[in-house]
Amino acid sequence: MIASVKRILVIASHTFTQLVRMKVFGFLAVFALILIGINFFELPTGNSPASAAEEELRMLKSSAMGAMSLFAIIFAIAATGLLLPRDVEDRTLYTILCKPVPRLDYLAGKYLGVLWTVLLALLLMDILLVIALQLRTAEILGERMAIAEHLKWTPEEVGAEKDAVLSQGATWSVQAGIFAIFLKSMVIAGVALLISTFSTSTLFTIIMGFLVYFIGHFAGEARDFWLSQQLETSVLAKYGSHLISVVFPDFRLYNVIDGAIAGNVISGSIMWQLVGISGIYAAVYLILSWFAFAKKEF
Amino acid sequence: MALAVEINQLSKEFATPFRRKKILAVKGVSLSIAEGEIYGLIGPNGSGKSTTMKALLGLLAPSEGTCQIFGKDSVKVDSRNDVGYVPENPYFYKHLTGEETLRFYGKLCGLSGRKLKERISELLSLVSLEHARKQKVGTYSKGMLQRIGLAQALIHEPRLLILDEPTAGVDPVGSREIRDLILSLKEVGKTVFLCSHLLEQVQEICDRVGIIFNGVLKREGTLDELITMKERLELVATGSPDAQRKLLELAEEMEGIELVSSGAPKTSLESLFIQMSQEEK
Repeated sequence: MIASVKRILVIASHTFTQLVRMKVFGFLAVFALILIGINFFELPTGNSPASAAEEELRMLKSSAMGAMSLFAIIFAIAATGLLLPRDVEDRTLYTILCKPVPRLDYLAGKYLGVLWTVLLALLLMDILLVIALQLRTAEILGERMAIAEHLKWTPEEVGAEKDAVLSQGATWSVQAGIFAIFLKSMVIAGVALLISTFSTSTLFTIIMGFLVYFIGHFAGEARDFWLSQQLETSVLAKYGSHLISVVFPDFRLYNVIDGAIAGNVISGSIMWQLVGISGIYAAVYLILSWFAFAKKEF
Repeated sequence: MALAVEINQLSKEFATPFRRKKILAVKGVSLSIAEGEIYGLIGPNGSGKSTTMKALLGLLAPSEGTCQIFGKDSVKVDSRNDVGYVPENPYFYKHLTGEETLRFYGKLCGLSGRKLKERISELLSLVSLEHARKQKVGTYSKGMLQRIGLAQALIHEPRLLILDEPTAGVDPVGSREIRDLILSLKEVGKTVFLCSHLLEQVQEICDRVGIIFNGVLKREGTLDELITMKERLELVATGSPDAQRKLLELAEEMEGIELVSSGAPKTSLESLFIQMSQEEK
């Protein structure tokens, strides 16, 4: 068991090195540019000055977290879809599986390596976002306090304004939202891993991965439809909704990310539920991948 | 002597696309390799050599029959504790250096710390790649890739080495170095199972040879058993031209003997090339 964990960590750290040396972190430079760009250009909101200030912070979070989400999802699908077929193509897989390495350890190591890379990239982007948010929040707060002083607001009004601005800043809910992005990419990477165990091309894995990702956003609706359907429902709709709700992960669960952008408070219990569900999804996809990979011949 | 490899009635079937037809790549192959022996499996392309090796390594599941490595079923992971494998035209992670490559494979086999460090240095020295230890594997030549392949196969000190076309694409000098390396491994007691279509090389290094055609092991035995032409006698004599002529005349006159050919013995092209390249150095 200990030997197995060690092997998984060896493969994971190697996968991480491999991805880092593929210069995937180049995306961070693009992300930094996005943040700098948003700070330089004032986006028209058409709202009152008070709500415009909050809107500006929301826009900053929305753009940054949107970019983070985009990076994490693309990376999770592409990297997972790329690594396994490449090992087969280059025959490096032969030299690994000819060592005393169980196939589950190999798969788990590759999966973990991709997740480490996504986590580290998100962490670095998170640090950049927090710095940008802190600076912008302080700036906006200063402007709003100057206005409050000029208009001679009551202490209660000043306090409410302060809370309103700070609630759009670098809160724990933003951190929860970013963690939810990681959990979402963990699930989609699991899907890509499963597809890559039976697919013969990287392109097919990536296309299928994105397809599952988009369908997964309707999995919740499909399940609701399944549960609430009437007898007169067509056969196609009936079995289609069954299939989607059983096979595809329900990405509607990760709408907490939008809540975090909007400045809503995300409770710990919601996050624990999300961690649990994501963990179950990841474990199921890893086990299914193992079943497919264990019988694979090279 | 204990058996390193035991293949018993191995058959392997592959389904064609859409599973309309099945191709029998290996048909009832049985062979065994004793510990410390160098065994060569020869045959043309597509004869079933690599399929046999892959079945032995657990990369393919036999359709019928069994493969055992030191008595352990090759389908089981623990049978791989005693095997090192170098595939045909091996590729390794291009982003790793020679040293990092060996470290990665060593760690996969449970090695760590000082022991791993020492083993890496020892192997880089064995395969003459000390100068390239910090060089990215992506920049290695074919010969260097084969040698780092051998080093990774030996990292966990396996008792059995399986080599698929170990000198494919390597120039004669590099090929000779790999050959010498294989012979030195035999000297330290390693068992080697190799497949190649370079017959001269197989002849030079193998104790026993199996000849496979269309998935069927046609002949098997020691080199002497296979290549000795018992109905012919070859004499290599040295002496004056007169003495040589007399010997020929004697042979021609002898009853029951038909002189098939005579002349000065020839060296092989490979030996000549090696000799010339050494002189150039």
